[in-house]
Amino acid sequence: MNSLRHRFVLGVLLALSSLCAAQPPVLDTVQAGAGTTLQVPGAGSTVLYLFGPAGVSKREVQRGAVALSGDELKVAGRYTAIVDGKSSAFFVTAGPLEKVSFIAHPSRVPAATSGAVLGSAFLFDRFQNLVLAPTPVSFRLAVDGTAGEERKVTAKNGVAWVQLSSGRRGGPAQFVASSGAVSVRRVVQQVAADPCSIRMRASRAADGNILVETAPIQDCSGNAVPDGTIVTFTSVDAAGRSTVDARIKRGFARAELPASSSATLSVATGVVMGNEIRWGGDQ
Amino acid sequence: MTDVSCSRFRLAAMRLIVSFGLALLPATLHAASPAPLTSFDAASATPRPIEETTAMAVQRDYAHAWQSLVLALEENRADLLNENFTGVARQQWQSAIATQRQNGLSRRIVDHGHTVQVSFYSLDGSALEAFDNADLEVQYRDGSKVLYSEHVQARYVVLLTAAENSWKVRILQEVPAR
Repeated sequence: MNSLRHRFVLGVLLALSSLCAAQPPVLDTVQAGAGTTLQVPGAGSTVLYLFGPAGVSKREVQRGAVALSGDELKVAGRYTAIVDGKSSAFFVTAGPLEKVSFIAHPSRVPAATSGAVLGSAFLFDRFQNLVLAPTPVSFRLAVDGTAGEERKVTAKNGVAWVQLSSGRRGGPAQFVASSGAVSVRRVVQQVAADPCSIRMRASRAADGNILVETAPIQDCSGNAVPDGTIVTFTSVDAAGRSTVDARIKRGFARAELPASSSATLSVATGVVMGNEIRWGGDQ
Repeated sequence: MTDVSCSRFRLAAMRLIVSFGLALLPATLHAASPAPLTSFDAASATPRPIEETTAMAVQRDYAHAWQSLVLALEENRADLLNENFTGVARQQWQSAIATQRQNGLSRRIVDHGHTVQVSFYSLDGSALEAFDNADLEVQYRDGSKVLYSEHVQARYVVLLTAAENSWKVRILQEVPAR
């Protein structure tokens, strides 16, 4: 029924088409999947050739109104019908938007980073034709329970893109591209950024070594820096320098440094330096 | 066999090989003729400018894609599309070639050149969209009989995506000329 509604007579008299050869004609357009009718002049039967971007056909037809089904005209592009050595061309254009192909990048991103999340959406109709008409597209990036960030853009030539900042809270962020009733979701894992600061305290272990332990290590938005991140503890005394690398475990890092009567203790992770402790013999 | 008859035999064999090679030469030259890119304008690409090396790679691969498409449509060889086409574009043109072959039809395209303007290059560098104004002569054939020939100024919207070491055509959709 839908096909019939959209079906119309192209009104092309194939016999006259050669008269227009000097000037490029404005070609008729048909919506993908809608079907159309070709008018073939004369009486009796003839052979109709139809060359399209995704298929060709050759069939005997009765002159007069020749129906081309929607199935034959699903793919957007130029179609050339040839009868009796004369041709007629028309275009099939994309139908309404039915599918969004969404590329999100990257899949993991540090929290609260400006312009770090990229998205490109490609708009297609139900036959995988690129929908070239300007179409509003909405992008939203948010971790559950946060407002997140939303941007509305208009797709140009079938493509819409966005560059968003990651949110302050760590966790799986839903990155959604939607247009009309069509919506596509990707997950971008927001992870803690570099530690904001690092604090440690020191105490004497039972065996006389120096026990050093950090406070919970967080980024500047308060997200716990992931377990496994390396923290370096250093002790400098008269005997020289001792360094121990420890991994963050459950938000903290701890290590034992060699016993010393007087030492300077420091802590660092990545590019962030922590506090320094002067360790005296009486501590 | 005497030395004289041996050398005659060798000479005849060499003549045969040379003649056979020369007979194949025109077809080989035809297959290797490049699809010309008359111009490639990447200045208006958004949201990211195209690096020079990327632009060169895209031009090389897009020209090669057209070269293989032209040959594939003429010789009804869908396998020629594998290197430069992917996704929807590959499926569609493969389907076109399959039905051409089924009906004994073919298309011969004489490619007079492409004017390519890049409109979109994704921020992550994985996709590129361009408009291509192509100057083509198309001959529609039924077996060896030419059904119709036409000269078309075709306009294509093209979507290329980055593969492992090349750019592949994912969408090649002809649109009405402006």
